[in-house]
Amino acid sequence: MHYKKLPKEFLEEFINRLRKWGEVHAPQKKGKNTYFFSRLDDPSKVQIDYTRTVIPPTKKYVLRPVEPLMLFHGDRAEEHTLRTTKLVLFGVHACDINALKILDRVYLSEPRDPYYEIRRKNIVIIGISCMPDDYCFCKSMGTDYAMSGFDLFLHELRDGYLIRVGSPMGHEITWNISDILEEVSEEDIEYLKKFEKQRLSSFKRHVDISAMPDILDLAYNSRVWERYSERCLGCGNCTLVCPTCRCFETYDVWLSVNTSMRVRRYDSCFMVSHGLVAGGHNFRPTRLDRFRHRYYCKSYFDPIHGINCVGCGRCDEFCPAGIKHIEVLNEVIGEIYGR
Amino acid sequence: MKLKMAIFELTGCGGCELTFIMLNEKLEDILELYDIAHFKMISSKEDLHKYDVAVVAGSVSTERDLKVLESARKKSRILLALGTCAVHGGPQSLILDEDLEGALAEIYGKKVPKEMKIFAGTPISEYVKVDVEIPGCPPESNDLFQALVDLAHGVVPYKWDYPVCLECKINETECVLVKRGIPCLGPITLGGCNAVCINLGIGCIGCRGPLPEDVNIPSEYEILKSLGISEKTIKRKLRMFSKRVSLNDHEKNLYK
Ligand code: SF4
Ligand code: SF4
Repeated sequence: MHYKKLPKEFLEEFINRLRKWGEVHAPQKKGKNTYFFSRLDDPSKVQIDYTRTVIPPTKKYVLRPVEPLMLFHGDRAEEHTLRTTKLVLFGVHACDINALKILDRVYLSEPRDPYYEIRRKNIVIIGISCMPDDYCFCKSMGTDYAMSGFDLFLHELRDGYLIRVGSPMGHEITWNISDILEEVSEEDIEYLKKFEKQRLSSFKRHVDISAMPDILDLAYNSRVWERYSERCLGCGNCTLVCPTCRCFETYDVWLSVNTSMRVRRYDSCFMVSHGLVAGGHNFRPTRLDRFRHRYYCKSYFDPIHGINCVGCGRCDEFCPAGIKHIEVLNEVIGEIYGR
Repeated sequence: MKLKMAIFELTGCGGCELTFIMLNEKLEDILELYDIAHFKMISSKEDLHKYDVAVVAGSVSTERDLKVLESARKKSRILLALGTCAVHGGPQSLILDEDLEGALAEIYGKKVPKEMKIFAGTPISEYVKVDVEIPGCPPESNDLFQALVDLAHGVVPYKWDYPVCLECKINETECVLVKRGIPCLGPITLGGCNAVCINLGIGCIGCRGPLPEDVNIPSEYEILKSLGISEKTIKRKLRMFSKRVSLNDHEKNLYK
């Protein structure tokens, strides 16, 4: 990997220079402590130490929360023209970068999703290092470090950022802005090592996923699901904020008497209608079915490709009922293997 | 040929019927599809024959309401309940049947008129078959627009079942419940309002009524209790807009 250093005093300059490669979107704050990715006009507004956004940036910009697909005028259908602005996502955490690889696997394998693909191609990703808070468990998922999936990745140093270059686009950027970059010193490497050591020892939540698919196989009738599903509101918050949840609902909206628009919008497997199919059959009729389903979808259905969870902690932070993903899993594991 | 529509008003504040008028320029679209045969708020002219679509707003709270409702049902092919009063009973359903006499005495003193026959506010579906329900206090005029255009095209309107939280998350609004400890009924309340109250920084009061199928009242109750709200206030909060939230079931579940 190629390394460079960005001195702290050039951070804002760096962000402004990035505009050459697209509209810069970065973490910003609203309310007391809620973060969201949005267009960054004033680089001093960037919340570089943010914990996590509501909707993961990597999901939000490739799979829009609400997006028009088609227009119908009487009998005539017309595909909605895609907006293909080039975007630079500045300040993406490793877990979200790793989650995007999971989304790519789904949306870019045949049949490819053209809406996803065109947006995906137009995104430049600048990662940033972070310290875990009370909710993070990415280390247990092996997604706390990004080895690929970004163009540049910034690691905090005492007086700047160590930049890892992860793609040809990343090289192009560093090449173009070489006047504000420096070479990495021994001291910087020492700082990076110390930072990483501290980061790795700061995780408060752990789960052992080595036997997860098997354990879930054995735990289908566990009382743990039942107990938690009594508390679950079925509100879907956990799935909506999840960086790997990717279900959408498609519906038509009338614009006038004879014109309508086909729209897709994030959906959640906690909605009763999510499991409803033609003929009126529902394959997940109870809240228990729906609650358990999420755990199987995250940790079981895809054992070959690994687990559909990156440990970002969003589901736990945003659950109104205070249900913690990892506590549920640990109880299930404890029940099966007593560990 | 245009379809014939009628709008009937039972007990309510009139806001639901107003959403029809508030369709503004979209009203022109609706008038391309429908003739309005009966709507007291805009015209005293009435055609009392058969209707393709009857829109009923308000809850059944008087004998007159019941008569109007039954005749509306008999005369129409499709009956649409508009607004939370019609769908769930509305705030007037807070009074229970057994408290009615006391409530009457409190308002009218000893001179309760004999001819006054009232009930506790009741969702219209408890008396007649309802084909389409559009809750909301007031309902979203676009929901009404979508349903009326759907019906005119022979399409069954969507029956949404997502809570306020869904749109709240799509808006990436700060969760007032989780982040600020403000009571919010969003997780158990039917969405479709674009989480408008939360966008303004206040908690959802449940004006669109509970989710149509699976609604976890005991868990919401526990959450509100953990915020330090009294049992009495929580109960009133939960029952504010809907007679369909049965506190008895809820209590049974709560202490099982
Ligand atoms: S956020 Fe919590 S209460 Fe809501 S559906 Fe998920 S687990 Fe259930
Ligand atoms: S503020 Fe209310 S509606 Fe919004 S996510 Fe939180 S609980 Fe749900």
